[in-house]
Amino acid sequence: MTKEKNPYAGRPGATHVEAVKERFPGAVTDVSWSTDYQPVITVDADSAPGVIEYLYYERGGWMPVMAANDERPLINKFALYYILSMEEQDKCMLTVRCELDPVSGEFQAVSARVPAAVWSEREAQDLFGLTGRNILDNRNLVLPDDWPQDLHPLRKDSMDYRFRPAPTREIENYDFLKDTGDHETRVIPMGPMHITSDEPAHFRLYVEGEQIIDADYRMFFIHRGMEKCAESRLNYDGVNFLAERICGICGYAHSVAYAETVERAQGIEVPKRAQYIRSILMEVERLHSHLLNLGLVCHYTGFDTGFQHFFRIREDAMDLAELLTGARKTYGLNIIGGVRRDILASQTAETFAKIDKLRDDTKRLCDQMLSTPNFRKRVEGVGILAPKIARDYSPVGPVVRGSGFARDARWVHPFEGYQYIADHHKPFTEESCDVKGRTLVRVHEVLDSMDIVEELLRDELPAGPILNDKFHIEPGKFAIGYDEAPRGENVHWSMIGNNQKTYRWRAKAATYSNWPVLRYMFRGNTISDAALIVGSIDPCYSCTERVSIVDVKKRKEQILTKQQFEEYGRTQKHSPIDM
Amino acid sequence: MAEFIIALVQGILLVLLAPLASGIARWFRAKVHTRKGPSIFQDYRDIAKLLKRQDVHSNVSSRVSRIMPPLYIGCMIVLGMGMPMATRFSPIPFLADIILVIYMLALPRFFFALSGIDSGDAYAGTGGVRELIMGTLIEPSLMLALFVAAIACGTTNVGTMGQMVGAGTVQSPIAFVIAGIAFAVACYIEMGKLPYDEAEAEQELQEGPLQELSGPSLAMMHIAVPMKQVVLASMFVAIFLPFGSAVDLSVAGLAVGTVVYLVKMVVILVVTMVIENCVSRVRWKFVGHQTWFVFAIAVCAFAFCVLGI
Repeated sequence: MTKEKNPYAGRPGATHVEAVKERFPGAVTDVSWSTDYQPVITVDADSAPGVIEYLYYERGGWMPVMAANDERPLINKFALYYILSMEEQDKCMLTVRCELDPVSGEFQAVSARVPAAVWSEREAQDLFGLTGRNILDNRNLVLPDDWPQDLHPLRKDSMDYRFRPAPTREIENYDFLKDTGDHETRVIPMGPMHITSDEPAHFRLYVEGEQIIDADYRMFFIHRGMEKCAESRLNYDGVNFLAERICGICGYAHSVAYAETVERAQGIEVPKRAQYIRSILMEVERLHSHLLNLGLVCHYTGFDTGFQHFFRIREDAMDLAELLTGARKTYGLNIIGGVRRDILASQTAETFAKIDKLRDDTKRLCDQMLSTPNFRKRVEGVGILAPKIARDYSPVGPVVRGSGFARDARWVHPFEGYQYIADHHKPFTEESCDVKGRTLVRVHEVLDSMDIVEELLRDELPAGPILNDKFHIEPGKFAIGYDEAPRGENVHWSMIGNNQKTYRWRAKAATYSNWPVLRYMFRGNTISDAALIVGSIDPCYSCTERVSIVDVKKRKEQILTKQQFEEYGRTQKHSPIDM
Repeated sequence: MAEFIIALVQGILLVLLAPLASGIARWFRAKVHTRKGPSIFQDYRDIAKLLKRQDVHSNVSSRVSRIMPPLYIGCMIVLGMGMPMATRFSPIPFLADIILVIYMLALPRFFFALSGIDSGDAYAGTGGVRELIMGTLIEPSLMLALFVAAIACGTTNVGTMGQMVGAGTVQSPIAFVIAGIAFAVACYIEMGKLPYDEAEAEQELQEGPLQELSGPSLAMMHIAVPMKQVVLASMFVAIFLPFGSAVDLSVAGLAVGTVVYLVKMVVILVVTMVIENCVSRVRWKFVGHQTWFVFAIAVCAFAFCVLGI
């Protein structure tokens, strides 16, 4: 070690690497940089929890996601990539990699020490058949509960994609968590279909009177198997168009995040003009997404007039998207190496006019919303997300900013066009930790987005090409792509294989990081606030649930829980769980 | 005999026109939302459709759920028959006694709440409990305000009270006016419109007890709920704003009275429509704070009444 003293001094993340080496002698087996900004530390599997806990709590790390990878065909090992966003000193996106035994697939679960890893590790258990020792929560996350024991869809040797396994059990065997102490509670089932949610998710609220004592939820009713599809059926450049279909609202952010993984891993330089265009379009996407959520907040509090008017002015934001991209949704614009469509001078002028109008409308409507009778009382002190819980679980976007943490990938790890204007922007935060805080963050951000679009378009939009198509793809390289979608940070990780395909693609939608804290936000509120609290994280159901390969929905509807849920909803007797 | 015919006509017209009132409210709501919205006759179409449908009840529910809708609508028809509308006096004085009116309002509420709990649905049950709590919170103010009006007028009959007011012979006018304010607010809360539609809160409880109703039962509730709103508004104008209504049974008097009554109803409808579209729903745990405020106004009226001013 003394021989190669500081061979990487000065590179982003080098101080973290040094600190880990000093604190855990012998644990680090390899250090490399997948890109300039992304150090990768390979540690032995047993010390991973300690290393990550140290980086997370003592060196200002946050954990967006962990990507598991079946590398048995490459190196005869499974590999785990814990992605850490180092946000305090020596900022970088740091990956802690560990290799697992190909037969047992056992790993020391990080979630025992850093709860933020819990969903990723549960997912790795489901989809790769790995076994986490001391894992925080050992239930199925992604796979349905009647899934065959030894079938793990994302293993390379798992099965033919046309294969449909038969269900193995007819009773629901998902243990809902229930930490109600000595309160006498009854169960309020909310969903899978509920009037305020457009997509299925099942919440089980344990209430005493109207007070929610505890809550748990089961999701992943609508997997689309995108990651498997990308690996098995698409070329690496086609995945871009699949990525944007992850979400109907913030699809563009996913597309940018995926494109970044490939561009960074392969060292493809994106022309400056394309970077600007990407940032502008992401802000346009934020505009219509935040306006949607502000409308929904009104709706959940019973103020439908506000809801309809937010949707009215949101239409202007959609027009803006249509003007700049040719479609109301910002789809189909990104390809690896740049964008497909330029912004013309005439469109710039029209954009300014539209933004001026939108800004006036938004300001006026937000004022009206906040001065509506009862509105403040509905949102103040509701759905508290304590800063400690937030620190433990790494939520993202307005949820974490509403609890006082300045996490915003645009300004913490500036990327694309944002890196040229990052010096005079900073994340908006609110200290109130409640629905009001999250709503106010969105109000600030929607106005800020308009300023950013204007700033990027006004005199800074650089001339030049919008696409770089001179590159070669080298297999085996991987990198992290991240960006700030309206709901928070989207993180993608991909590794290119040797047949023009992605070997592994891990897409983390923003909401994936926000679901695990929801349980804590429910506690102590009343049933009447439940929908509002769910709404305040601006949830994306199908985005979160993009993984796994089977049409579970059909299976479930025919066989499993629907009847029981219905029966139970009517009678409140013979609970499939409690009895 | 003529009085009885008036009562009968009132009852029938109330049933027939209540969906128009809710239809107008829907149409107005759509306009405020900048939506095109349904026509004002949409509620008739909905009711016609529902009447053709099967009446489904959950298999754990008892007879309570089945008798609630007819009982509810029946109570409202009885109230509508006795309430002075176009006339200043009550067509059937026995039915316009405030003690009876209050109980006739409490009875359907009780069954409405019970049917929610009876249905076995978690949300309907919660809505039922809310309905009962709303009743407990607002009925004292309603009763106290009426009580003050009764003392001030020396009678418990709605029609006679209206006649006293029309003749200007109320004993403690200030107390009476304050009681009128308390009664108006209490009536609005009682109507169950936003921000006080706690029992049926759509986004919170998925329509509460209503969600377990279907077919003709739901159709009856679609008629009965706006009927209740019209009855409450009628009671308010009959006691506190009786001006313009027919004092005798002359044809001209009745015609003028009818027109004046309709104008008053439209004004009240517009006021309620504006309010319900400009507010968020009260957070359930704060409803009590707001009803206490109403109660304070009613107590104030009572104090003035005791002082005799």
